[in-house]
Amino acid sequence: MIFDETEIRVRFHEVDSWGVVWHGHYIAWFEVGRSALLNKFQLSPRDFTRLGYIAPVVDLKCSYKEPARLGDEIIVRTTVLKPTKAAFTFRFEVLRKSDRKLLVTGEETQVLQALDGRLLYYIPPELQPRLQALLDHLAVA
Amino acid sequence: MADDLVLELKNMIINTLKLEDVAPGDIEDDAPLFGEGLGLDSIDALELVVALEKTYGVFIPDSEVGKKVFRSVNALAEFVKTHRA
Repeated sequence: MIFDETEIRVRFHEVDSWGVVWHGHYIAWFEVGRSALLNKFQLSPRDFTRLGYIAPVVDLKCSYKEPARLGDEIIVRTTVLKPTKAAFTFRFEVLRKSDRKLLVTGEETQVLQALDGRLLYYIPPELQPRLQALLDHLAVA
Repeated sequence: MADDLVLELKNMIINTLKLEDVAPGDIEDDAPLFGEGLGLDSIDALELVVALEKTYGVFIPDSEVGKKVFRSVNALAEFVKTHRA
């Protein structure tokens, strides 16, 4: 399994009064990593909406190992697990770029909903080629 | 016959969703599977749909159909009986 990598730098408003990144911001960074990855395969939220779907997050896990600090350069690594049902589970690793120290790991699961509110129990056929391209890119078997 | 299928489906629900503290007798035949009742969620529905297709060859496309099929174990048994491959 391969991870896609995106770089960000810790900004002033992401740091709390203890001088470390506030825990909630890592979730937003997961989104940065996921967006960068999915945009490459026409699977962005906008692409989904155009096709008549949204993909709400239904589960989230986040484990904190080491804090990131103001000015740190950060690498967000993102991959996806092979779907066994009509849901997508993304796995994330947040690293400090200077020494590639693992700071945070996370996992998020999204389901597929039609714009009329129906939860889809199967991945629609029109998404399959894009999804397969994504899985191939990440060497997910 | 119908009771056999109901019991089979209860066991499938328990095994598929790994409901360790639930016995078939704990699931009421007419109680809702989602929300109140057994309290299953959307991911549970997706798991069950895969297991139902694999075991009985039935296809449940979305939650619009699902809310009728998963209304209770009895409703699910009725759906499987009518649609099984």
